[in-house]
Amino acid sequence: MIFDRILSHGKKEREVVEDIKSHIHLLCFACDTFRKSLEKGDRNLMWEVIELEREADSVRREVISHIYEGAFLPYLRPDLCKFVEIVDEVFDLLKETAFYCVENEVPEPLRDESIRVALLNFRMCEMLVISFEAMLKGEDLREKILAVRIFEKKIDDIKLSLVKDVEHVPIENFWAGKALSDFLTGLTMISDIIEDASDHLQIINVSTR
Amino acid sequence: MKIHEFMTKKIEFIDSNKSVYDAVEQMVDRRIRSVVVRFAGKETDYGVLTSRDIVFRVLAKGINPKKIKVAEIASKPIACIDKDTDFEDAATTMEKANIARLFVCDQGKVIGLISLLDVMAAELVLKARGNHDI
Amino acid sequence: MWKILSGVFLGWSLGANDSANIFGTGVTTGIVRYRTAIWLTAAFVMLGALVEGPKCMKVMGELSRILPMEAFYCALAAALTMTALTFLAIPASTSQAIIGAVIGAGVLSGSADFSKLYKVVACWVFTPICGIAAGYLLHQALGYAIDRTVKSFTRRNLLYSAGILVAGCYGAYTLGSNNVANVTGVYVGSGTMTPEMAALIGGLSIATGVLTYSRRVMMTIGKGIVPLDPFSALVVVLAEALTLHFFTQIGVPVSSSQAVVGALVGVGFVGDVQTVSFKMLKRISIGWIMTPVAGGVLAYFLIKLLT
Repeated sequence: MIFDRILSHGKKEREVVEDIKSHIHLLCFACDTFRKSLEKGDRNLMWEVIELEREADSVRREVISHIYEGAFLPYLRPDLCKFVEIVDEVFDLLKETAFYCVENEVPEPLRDESIRVALLNFRMCEMLVISFEAMLKGEDLREKILAVRIFEKKIDDIKLSLVKDVEHVPIENFWAGKALSDFLTGLTMISDIIEDASDHLQIINVSTR
Repeated sequence: MKIHEFMTKKIEFIDSNKSVYDAVEQMVDRRIRSVVVRFAGKETDYGVLTSRDIVFRVLAKGINPKKIKVAEIASKPIACIDKDTDFEDAATTMEKANIARLFVCDQGKVIGLISLLDVMAAELVLKARGNHDI
Repeated sequence: MWKILSGVFLGWSLGANDSANIFGTGVTTGIVRYRTAIWLTAAFVMLGALVEGPKCMKVMGELSRILPMEAFYCALAAALTMTALTFLAIPASTSQAIIGAVIGAGVLSGSADFSKLYKVVACWVFTPICGIAAGYLLHQALGYAIDRTVKSFTRRNLLYSAGILVAGCYGAYTLGSNNVANVTGVYVGSGTMTPEMAALIGGLSIATGVLTYSRRVMMTIGKGIVPLDPFSALVVVLAEALTLHFFTQIGVPVSSSQAVVGALVGVGFVGDVQTVSFKMLKRISIGWIMTPVAGGVLAYFLIKLLT
């Protein structure tokens, strides 16, 4: 086992790293597709987001099985798996939020701010990719983590105004209201989970130094 | 990344004939440092009233804020930039005019606000992104 | 030739107990498989014993003049001391047990040379001290070097894997080279065997102990040791190996367990962490005194009553 790892010059590790990279890139793409769909009002794009979640699920399974087939030192494996699981949570939330948009129109008073949140979510994913690559190179992640937090704070501010604006949106019945509320909650919680993922990268980074 | 990604969209407006006291109430309640002053009949004619204006030009002088109208101390015209301006240009504009905030305008209409803090935050993010092409 | 059996038994128990110092962390954290660890340890212990084992054998003959039968009882006394103290969960050093026994035999025959004993005791005292210094300095120096040169996440992972393997092999080599004298050195002192033959038989007995009975000790975390990150684990083994190798050149067999404890404390100083509990340190101090005394007393009475 240990001989395999050394003699293969870290081939398994490189595979895992590439898999995780594609997982996060997929997330970026999904967030961007989500934003475009909101801007254009294109429901087909929303279906694409849902499909991407399924693809991400299978990438996640690949990563975890490669890790436990012997990539990386045992003390690192749970942290790496946890990171992948957190990114997967973002996908799940994105999918649920997308489901709302497939069935419903986002009310006009909330549309602009929702698109802004979607754009900022995409920016956060980009930062996550940058942070992961920086971690691989052994760079300090503080700046990048701070950038993620700045975006998350911006979304928090928008969330406050969304919460106020939604009070003026006419609702047909309790379930329509609940669905809209869940949509807004989901849309604004995506950034919280991306922030968790970025914090976790810092944990992994620090544990190897 | 452009200005419109970092701007605040929630702008508070106040009519020019309201008293400074009304402005104080609004600003304290909303926890904001400036309001855009709307002049009657003129849709794209704006002024701005900041907390500095209120404190330095009214309260510090012992003037009763209920007795003075917003229009009397608001600054006109407001400093505007386009939504696709980049941050360095925004910072330069702020420095030249010695102001702490810029309004983001689209065809004469105010659509957002960018403050010194927003410019600093954007600088941090741009530095963190580096030359990365995602 | 049956007289060497007690030495073989001593070697076997040394192999079973001390191999945990080498690959213990590696195995319990899953970095190295148990089977890989024991075969590597056995192979490198043999190599160390054959190549540099004879260096420490002279000291046994210098401490007392021992007859072949007395050599048997000395090794037996040491083995019984080790067994009893292990049973009482007091960390015991084979070096201290056998040398205590040899002195006990020397006291009985009147041939004990206490002037040579001072050198040996000084080395015992310096073993954990060297371990502390080596652990601390290696952690700082190696840490600094790696931070500057190996920044890549995957490369570092590879480095730690390879490092633990190399350090373990070196640790096994130095265990063989330094401690084989504990096992069969008495027979060289009594003229029963040549140093080369003693090294071979001693090495084989230690290797057998590693292969057959080391699992229990290796899997126990109850050594009072704080779980270490891979880098610190690597440094501890390397520091212990360097300490042992150093004393091999001086020609005195010392305790690998005490070298490991020293290295752990040294590494702990870097992060200002208490890596060894006070309870463990207390037990080690008790062992320090009890082991040579018990070995000496037991050897004295075994020889007096049975010869």
